[in-house]
Amino acid sequence: MRIQITTTINGRARELLVKPNETLLEILRSELHLKGTVEGCGVGVCGSCTVLVDGRPVSSCLMLSTNVEGKSVTTIEGLAQGDRLDPVQETFLKYQAFQCGYCTSGMIMATKALLESNPHPSEEEVRDYLSGNLCRCGTYAEVLAAIEELSKKPEVHE
Amino acid sequence: MSLIGIDIPRVDGPAKVTGGAQYTANIELPQMVYAKALRSIHPHARIIHLDSSKAERLPGVVAVLTREDLTGINPYFGPMVKDQPIVAIDRVRYVGDIVVAVAAEERDIAEAALSLIDIEYDPMPAVFDSLEAMQPGAPILHPGRRLGKTESTLMTNENVISVFHLDEGDLATGFKEADEIFEDVYTTPKVQHGHIEPHVATAFWEPSGKLVVYSATQNPSMIRVHLGEIFGIPQTRVRVIVPFVGGGFGGKVHLRLEPICAALARKARRPVQWLLTREEVFLTGHCQASVVKIRTGVKRDGALVAREVKVVYDTGAYALTGPTVASNGGQTCSGPYRIPHQNLTSYCVYTNSPPTGPYRGFGHPQVCWAYESQMDDIARRLQMDPLELRLKNLVQEGDVFVTGDKLTSIGIADCLKEAAEAINWEGKVEQAPRELTGKVFGKGIAGMIKTVMPSSNSAAIVRLNADGSAVLLTSSVEMGQGTHTSLAQIVAEEIGLPADLVSVTFPDTDVTPFDRSTSSSITIFNMGNAALRAARQVREQLFEIGAKAMEARVEDLELSEGFVRVKGMPKRQLNISQLFRAHFGAPIGSLFGSFDFQTTAETDPITGKGKTTAFLSFSACAAEVEVDIETGKIQVHRIITSVDAGKAINPRQCHLQNEGSMMMSLGSTLFEEMVFDNGQPINATFLEYMLPSIKDHPRQFKSLLVETPHPDGPFGAKGVGETAVGPVEPAIGNAVANALGGIRIRDLPLRPDKVLAVLEANLWGKK
Repeated sequence: MRIQITTTINGRARELLVKPNETLLEILRSELHLKGTVEGCGVGVCGSCTVLVDGRPVSSCLMLSTNVEGKSVTTIEGLAQGDRLDPVQETFLKYQAFQCGYCTSGMIMATKALLESNPHPSEEEVRDYLSGNLCRCGTYAEVLAAIEELSKKPEVHE
Repeated sequence: MSLIGIDIPRVDGPAKVTGGAQYTANIELPQMVYAKALRSIHPHARIIHLDSSKAERLPGVVAVLTREDLTGINPYFGPMVKDQPIVAIDRVRYVGDIVVAVAAEERDIAEAALSLIDIEYDPMPAVFDSLEAMQPGAPILHPGRRLGKTESTLMTNENVISVFHLDEGDLATGFKEADEIFEDVYTTPKVQHGHIEPHVATAFWEPSGKLVVYSATQNPSMIRVHLGEIFGIPQTRVRVIVPFVGGGFGGKVHLRLEPICAALARKARRPVQWLLTREEVFLTGHCQASVVKIRTGVKRDGALVAREVKVVYDTGAYALTGPTVASNGGQTCSGPYRIPHQNLTSYCVYTNSPPTGPYRGFGHPQVCWAYESQMDDIARRLQMDPLELRLKNLVQEGDVFVTGDKLTSIGIADCLKEAAEAINWEGKVEQAPRELTGKVFGKGIAGMIKTVMPSSNSAAIVRLNADGSAVLLTSSVEMGQGTHTSLAQIVAEEIGLPADLVSVTFPDTDVTPFDRSTSSSITIFNMGNAALRAARQVREQLFEIGAKAMEARVEDLELSEGFVRVKGMPKRQLNISQLFRAHFGAPIGSLFGSFDFQTTAETDPITGKGKTTAFLSFSACAAEVEVDIETGKIQVHRIITSVDAGKAINPRQCHLQNEGSMMMSLGSTLFEEMVFDNGQPINATFLEYMLPSIKDHPRQFKSLLVETPHPDGPFGAKGVGETAVGPVEPAIGNAVANALGGIRIRDLPLRPDKVLAVLEANLWGKK
């Protein structure tokens, strides 16, 4: 059985036929070939599959694809404007806030959501907000430094 | 300007911040199907009945792999002992052992097929504790299987896979000379690698009979060797390709999924992809739990005179590299100290637990936890400064270590001093008693010595193009450590090119030469040397061509910024394109260099001594903690590690490796522990097994680099991938003991309930 859904993915309206038990992560990766969003734990704990749904961060491994009917989904591939990186991406690059990179998409998307809702977070707020994005390479110091710089830039949050 | 020691930006950065980095699970192939495995629910059992016919008939299932399918191939594999079957044959040896694998059009069909498999087990007695497993009469996991040359008297039964032993001086004499003797037992638990990318592989067979495997592995060259052995085909008919790897930490060094993927793909005649669930990752590999019994004799002035250490490593149900982990840990289990009389023994033992394999630190952190914790007990009893006690006993440049290795590039004293200074170490004051009320604070330090993989080959090819760009062909895996960047720096430096004109390949065994492994912190030393010398051959060719073209002597030439020029005559110069024209008649073609860098162990078969390691790693950690006496909770306020990098090629990457080591160790010090109940995993998800999050990141957190150039390292470099892992645990443990006035927990992790229990036993109980 397949269900038709209408959703917006990275700014483009899409009509998709999905299985009722298919997760958003599966649709993104298998159907739409958006491989920047990855699976780490499958139970919504590690944060590596984080995407934005109507601007809010969700673990796409836990959300059924039917739940994005009528909503707007942004993945890591939807952040840059052409060749111009999003300020979050640029700053992660500058501080080299990644090692193996596997958690990085999720970390960047969560950071994006944080700064949209709270443009000038304190370090405490950053730690709270990102505690659901695990980095086993342990690159947290660089993530904190990158976000500290971002939190000082008013233009990040359009 | 030299490129060595410069923080050039990582070449993989743009891919990794845009979601464009390709990992193995991203590879999609036409007709690809998906694998799932049926795993044992018993820790030890005979399989008495197995029928997969119903599963085979389920629509969408394309292949089912059982023991019946292992005919015509070599069904057992393993890097040291071929003890692991591709799927279970006669028995299962741990909860999670693979019995049947299914490939189907969709993942949920494969999952559904598993429930249609009829299987009947005859449960057998199992053993979960490594010390019990060594006892006579213990259930035997692999009857009749053994590693060859071991000391039979120490092999108490067939669960003991290997024994490693070193002697120095005469232990009895040493203890007779001692004024004080310390004897303790330390333990470390099973810990998960926790790479966020699960194990994943995709395999298919070309019509020619060639096996192609994409795998998230740290070890493409050896995967190729082993797959060739299993399927009885020449290595040239196995091609292993490794895209970006999402973290390894040792967990991806050995064959894991590849044999099953390949066997399923052969049966299905289609590409098979297998991505493990997180629960399965927990059943696939972890760090060897250990029991360390350590007895030390010391003079009143603090001189260590005798040390006896027995270490038992629990390798789980299959050996993997367990014997080498145990021998490496055995080599350094007395610490970085001069001790005249030593007797060191390590054992590698099977239990009915998931298999282990290498884990960041390779056996050294377990023993470092023991010897560095005990050093502080010694300092406390002798009323000495723990730093001074260590400095007094440290090995020195030129010493012969207990392994027989002549010591060179010994940065340990500087590592310890710099780490201690960074936390304002106050010497003897740190051992002062504390009043145990409310929240108490403590400081601790620890140092570590570590050997690396003894025998290794790493080959590299450098190809220079006519436009002055070059490529390094290497099988080194980029798994987050920045090897694509640092190796490019080495090649660029040697050929005088900008670093961004050197690209580094991903491993593809059809194209890239052999590399023993991306592990053991050896890549910058071994592959770095291979890359350097391959590049040097290209450099020499450029000089020869330049000398001929400019009618000059080679020794009068210099190479920089893409030009070969006559020294002191800036106008007599040719760029690379012009040199190619001079050599080939047109600016086309390519110049090659290739080098196979070898390290070899040369040890005496009787004593086990000699040259055991290409280089020694040294590190130190200093920590500050707060312990809540009421709740037992430990908060780590500050961690500093200091690592001897030889010479840091790209200091920023070295720091990142250290920071990662510190965070991993913080987890294993405070809370990480795989828990089992009669062999059944209790916390095999990230919901129950916590990894350190950004909230656990200590507020004061710093990596320091000490540089004592190694004569054999490329530009003096030594690897640092896992060097900082060991000393963090005892440094925090020592800080906690310091906070608690000398009360010590000897079993990791330092959970709040254990803190309360030792306080109860040592303090409140006595009141």
